[in-house]
Amino acid sequence: MSDLLVNPPSDREPLQASFSDAANPLGLDGIEFIEYATPKPQALGQVLEMMGFKPVARHRSREVLLYRQGDLNIVVNAHPLDAKAASHGRETPSISAIALRVRDARAAYQYVRECGAWEVPTHAEVMELNIPAIHGAGGSRIYFVDRYKEFSIYDVDFIPIPTVDQKPAATAGLHFFGVVQYIGPERSYDWMEFYRELFGFELIPDEQRFGIMPKGTLLCSPALDPANSFMLQLIEPELNVVDADEKLQRIGLGVPDVLAAVRELRQLGIEFVETAAAHTESRGAITKTYLGSVVFELVKSDKG
Amino acid sequence: MNISGFGMDTISLAGPLEAKLRAIKGAGFSQVMLKANDLVGHPDGLDAAVRAVRESGLRGTGFQVLRDFEGLSGHLHEYKVDIAKSMLQMCEALGCKVLLACSSTSAHATQDLDKIAADLRKLAMLALPLGIRIAYEGLSWGRTVNEFTTAWDVVCRADCPNLGIAIDSYHIFAAKTPLDEIDYLDPSKIFLVQLADFMWQETKTFEERMTTARTFRVFPGEGVHSEALEELVLKLDRLGYAGDYSFEVFNDDYVNLPLPVVAERARKSAVWLAEEVLRRSTPLPNQMRLRSRPGAVSP
Repeated sequence: MSDLLVNPPSDREPLQASFSDAANPLGLDGIEFIEYATPKPQALGQVLEMMGFKPVARHRSREVLLYRQGDLNIVVNAHPLDAKAASHGRETPSISAIALRVRDARAAYQYVRECGAWEVPTHAEVMELNIPAIHGAGGSRIYFVDRYKEFSIYDVDFIPIPTVDQKPAATAGLHFFGVVQYIGPERSYDWMEFYRELFGFELIPDEQRFGIMPKGTLLCSPALDPANSFMLQLIEPELNVVDADEKLQRIGLGVPDVLAAVRELRQLGIEFVETAAAHTESRGAITKTYLGSVVFELVKSDKG
Repeated sequence: MNISGFGMDTISLAGPLEAKLRAIKGAGFSQVMLKANDLVGHPDGLDAAVRAVRESGLRGTGFQVLRDFEGLSGHLHEYKVDIAKSMLQMCEALGCKVLLACSSTSAHATQDLDKIAADLRKLAMLALPLGIRIAYEGLSWGRTVNEFTTAWDVVCRADCPNLGIAIDSYHIFAAKTPLDEIDYLDPSKIFLVQLADFMWQETKTFEERMTTARTFRVFPGEGVHSEALEELVLKLDRLGYAGDYSFEVFNDDYVNLPLPVVAERARKSAVWLAEEVLRRSTPLPNQMRLRSRPGAVSP
């Protein structure tokens, strides 16, 4: 008998997830920020503040505000052209971009274009960062950011709002958990391939679900530090519904204790959906829809 | 009578886009295969052409044609990627869900099937966010890929959900590919079937195939390959193919005839296929699902 069988390798060291370059071709390391575009930034700002975010800085040249709590950065883009393009002329706010942390933004940009991504022309003004971007779902964009350790991109492009705490603590331990994307009918395999090919996302088995909204397909991002990995949930329309619209629909936020977080956010003014189909429980909760399109989902998650 | 699964192709008709659309609609068709130069050549520009298509009430079967995309390297590849992007944008503007890409005829392209597959995968990736599927067709005079069997091999190697093959009866008959090969295809990966017949028994050289294909195709049932065409359509039907059939009929005579005359010939052909060959019933309840992707095969 081989001693490999007596002492299987997993006994010596716990099996590790793969951290090879093949599994994480971009050196992905989590979400740097999520951007909303809206022609009504104050209204969205109010909702964000009820969710515990604080406005901390303004963009140097554009009508853009940075909201923050803990490690969460939300950018509210009210630049008229962006707001119009991202929401296809609608008045409701839309999630217009996700900025991903990568090992080397230039290399990542090059890699995804080689694979067939569409580059987006950038409009950096003098002394601003030229952040590379590609097209994502339904008019949204995916940015690549590699300066997030030693210094922050916001130090360059944003001016801090005076007297405001630049690092407000996270309410109830909120952190990024993932993003929900609505996709067209029979488009699951297409988008799974897109995220796998360009970013190295992996499929989560169907029996593994988080939170209270289990529909659709769940993908998990690779990450240099496993704590920075995040989820993407792809949801097709119901069978007999005409809705081929594709968009980033909502942000999923992780909290260590959902019930405590719901209590705390309710005090800030956020309302949660409490129906038979979806209601607050220890696994998760979902807020009501604000401004016609803004929803946050809470998911029990210990990281962050 | 149910000819909704069959469509005409703008290339069979002469005249301005609006007249073509009117004639096709007038003959009872509900879909049309669009070609890029029909749109960009519109006197009021591309936007007006897109509006004309959308207002015609006809559904776009697909958009054609991207040529000689695969197998190139360096600046040639970069150039073709740019062309492909422009084609994809037009395809999206028209609301077409399928872009037809033909196998390369270029002597500058590599013959390495894996490199060809990798390029097609990249093309499919470009099309993916736009919700467009790439139908790859083996031209019977293609340099490396000149039969649907090789096209299928390449599509399998590329293995991308929105990349499939296009079958064109003309190229099958011209290259004399055995019809039994159809049985090895996955029906959900056939994104388009183009049907046409022709008058010659033999087309031996690539030149002969090319000339015949571009000047003297006829509608299904009008040529000498009717029996084989019947067999092809029945094979596809038995395989489970439920997608669209488009009449890819290039014919120098037809572009010199009044449009309704040509459209009527196409209609006769569609009725023959629907009634006598496939014996199609009126739409079945499960075909009337409110899907945005008509003809898609459920998994």
